[in-house]
Amino acid sequence: MSTNVKRAFRIFVDIAIGISVIFGWWFLAIPLSAVGAWAFSYFLEAIAFGFIFDLLFGAVPGMGLAAYSGTIATIIILVIVVGSRKVLRK
Amino acid sequence: MRIIIAVCAVIVIVAVALQYFRPGFFPSLASSVAAPFWRAELSIQLGSLLTNSELLSENEYLKRELADLKVISQSATTIEAENEELKSMMGRGSTTPYTLAAVLMKPPLSSYDEILVDIGADHDVAVGDSIFAPGNVLIGKISAVEGQTSKAVLFSSPGQRYEVEVGAKHAPAVAYGRGGGQYQAQLPRDIDVKEGDFVLSPSISAKPFGFVSSVETDPAQPFETVLFASPVNIYELRWVLVDTTTMNATE
Repeated sequence: MSTNVKRAFRIFVDIAIGISVIFGWWFLAIPLSAVGAWAFSYFLEAIAFGFIFDLLFGAVPGMGLAAYSGTIATIIILVIVVGSRKVLRK
Repeated sequence: MRIIIAVCAVIVIVAVALQYFRPGFFPSLASSVAAPFWRAELSIQLGSLLTNSELLSENEYLKRELADLKVISQSATTIEAENEELKSMMGRGSTTPYTLAAVLMKPPLSSYDEILVDIGADHDVAVGDSIFAPGNVLIGKISAVEGQTSKAVLFSSPGQRYEVEVGAKHAPAVAYGRGGGQYQAQLPRDIDVKEGDFVLSPSISAKPFGFVSSVETDPAQPFETVLFASPVNIYELRWVLVDTTTMNATE
C-alpha cells in the first residue's frame, strides 16, 4: 500500500471512529480501533477517542476508574494488538 | 521524533491536570461539540426526513389519536384535579413544575447505564434532580450537568440504591439496581408480597416505581428476595421529565 493510500485509509478510519464515538456506538469503535492499531503504527489517536467517549458518556464524579473505561479499553486494545502484531510478524 | 514524543507528553500532562483540577471542562467541551450531532440524530429519529405525504398521513393519524386520548384523559384529569384539591385542603398541594427533556442517548448505547438529556444548566437543571419517565415513573437522578445537556444515572444502574415501599402494605425496603430497569430488594419473609404487586417511591404523592416480577424465598433464610422491574422500558425512552425543583429547593 502506497503512503498516500495508507494516509487516506488512516484518515477514513479516524473519521469512522470519531463518528462512532460521538453517537456512542462503542461496538463499532472498538473493532475499528483494533483495525487501526493493526494497520498503522503509533495509532495513539485511539486513546484520544477513548478519552472523548468517556467525556461524553462517562466521567461522572464519584464513578472512579469506571468513568474512564473507554480510555482503559483502548489502551488494552492497543497493547494487545500491537503486541500480537509484533509476535506474528517475527 | 523526540520532539513529537515531548509534545504528546506535554498534551497528556496538561489534559490530566485539567481533568483533575477542572473536571467539568473537558466533558462540557466534548458535549458542546457532540450536541449538534445528537440533535440531528434525534430529529432524524423523530421523522424530520419524512416526505410531505408521509408527514400529512402521520399528522392525520396523530390528530385522530389525540382526539381519542383526550376523551380518555378527561376522566383522569377530573380525578387528578379532585386529588389536588383534597391535598391542597390538607395543605399538601403539588406545584412541582417539570421540565420536558428529550433523551439523546440511552442504554444499551450509553455503556454506563446512564441517559443523556438535551437540557442542562440553561434550564436550571442541577445535580441530584429527579428524572421521571412518562407516567410519572421515577427512574433516576441527574449526575452531571453541562451547558445544554445533562447526564442522569438510572436507579436501576448496578450499585445504585433507593428507598421504596413494596406492596399493598407499603413495606419499606431498599431497592438495589440490577441494570436494564431491573431492581432487587430484601424483605422479611412474613410480609406478604406477590408477583404483580406495585412498588412506590415514598412521598405524599406516592409515585410508581415498579411492579414485582418475582419473589424468591428460601425457607432457611429470614428474608425473601423481591425482584421488580420499572413499569417503563428504559430502552424505549424518548422523553423524560426533570424535576428541576428537587435540588434548587434545597439550595
